[in-house]
Amino acid sequence: MPLIVAGPVGQDAHDGGPHPERPARVNAVMDGIGDLRLGTDLVQVAPVRPTGEQLRRVHTPVYLDELELFAHHGGGSLDPDTFVTDDSWETAMQAAGAGLAALDALAERGDGSAFVVARPPGHHAERERGMGFCLVNSIAVSAAELVARGNRVLVLDWDVHHGNGTQSIFWDDPDVLYVSTHQWPLYPGTGRPDETGGADAPGSTVNVPLPPGATGDVVRAALDEVAAPVVSAFAPDWVLVSCGFDAHRADPLAELALSSADFGALAEVAVGLAPASGRVVLFLEGGYDLPAVRRSAAATVAGLLGDPYRSEEPTMGGPGLDVVRAAGVLRERSLGVTR
Amino acid sequence: MTRRVVVGVDGSSAATAALRWAAGEAVATGAQLVVVHAVGLLEHAGLATAPAQEAREDVVRRVVEEAGLDATRLDWRVVDGEPCAALLRQAGGADLVVVGTRGAGAHSGTLLGSTSLALAEHAVVPLVIVPSSPD
Repeated sequence: MPLIVAGPVGQDAHDGGPHPERPARVNAVMDGIGDLRLGTDLVQVAPVRPTGEQLRRVHTPVYLDELELFAHHGGGSLDPDTFVTDDSWETAMQAAGAGLAALDALAERGDGSAFVVARPPGHHAERERGMGFCLVNSIAVSAAELVARGNRVLVLDWDVHHGNGTQSIFWDDPDVLYVSTHQWPLYPGTGRPDETGGADAPGSTVNVPLPPGATGDVVRAALDEVAAPVVSAFAPDWVLVSCGFDAHRADPLAELALSSADFGALAEVAVGLAPASGRVVLFLEGGYDLPAVRRSAAATVAGLLGDPYRSEEPTMGGPGLDVVRAAGVLRERSLGVTR
Repeated sequence: MTRRVVVGVDGSSAATAALRWAAGEAVATGAQLVVVHAVGLLEHAGLATAPAQEAREDVVRRVVEEAGLDATRLDWRVVDGEPCAALLRQAGGADLVVVGTRGAGAHSGTLLGSTSLALAEHAVVPLVIVPSSPD
């Protein structure tokens, strides 16, 4: 089964110097994919240029104009976490366009899976502002494009941080189901179980916060017990994944305890939630320990393609199963579900 | 009467100006002062270049002391989160939220990265945005 890699983007650009969100992350992912020796099953596609209309579905014109202007004038800091350089706008456009290219490639082939290997990441970027290392919400641009083509889209976010930007962009959109597992408490501070979607799309957001130390079996339980029934009822046409590797136990920015093998299992879950082959696209988000990113990328792609690959053992026994179940109860209570 | 004032601090001069104003308001109205510091991605990992948390707490205690606020009415909270989300969460039940015009690390001259602007859109309690005095 083919793997379509859209990109790589950002392996030699948008460089903030001594910052964990750095170009080498992209190389680590590509090295991990290379470790699988996919041969002719690996197909690389170049980014397309996103149109203004595609960008404006998820960001305000004012924000887009200011970001472009800011970058062209040399950039600086948006906040203590988020930098902009003179080539950040161009890199962010390529990252968003890589997602669109992945959609087109899969739609044309009708089988396989895709991995958008691009940075800067996007899931923290809201309609009106970038934050948390993110400038343009690439996965949201692709999800909105699929919706415009008449599809229902599941966005599955297993980055260790909650994707506040993606959640807020699709808060009132009944055609996008947003599902997130994330460490709590942690940046950005959103993602409570009772955040379940806006008045026009009640139940279209699923949040399962996890305590520090949670292992792979806990994340799986969150998806199997809380998310899967909602996804099944939603019946997505496409599954887009905010694929962060910062829930790995070696990551310096958070305290979850997954191994690379757990990401492979999560990729298998994503495939299982899709209606058919050719309907799963991964988008690189976080992940800042380069060896862990490399191993996790390899395991994830192997899981995506159904190939055997394991460099670390799956993890289990960490805290959080009770939290997962409580999150399910809180979610149902906030939606007025009675048992 | 104001009973609970929430103010965001991040070590910037603008935030200190906001804290000074909020402490004065708390003294004048007999309110409790809730000082919120939101911990970002880099600070959580110990990679932040902004002043250390201890330094900010020192600033908070000094400013509050100068304003004449009883220490028992100071509630210092350090929470993981993006500043706007953290302040909105802590502002539940508050009478007033206070922030500076421009936080640490944010670029002046544009609306990019503006916590105060985002709060102005989302806050459900009165919001005071305090301009920093020219240095």
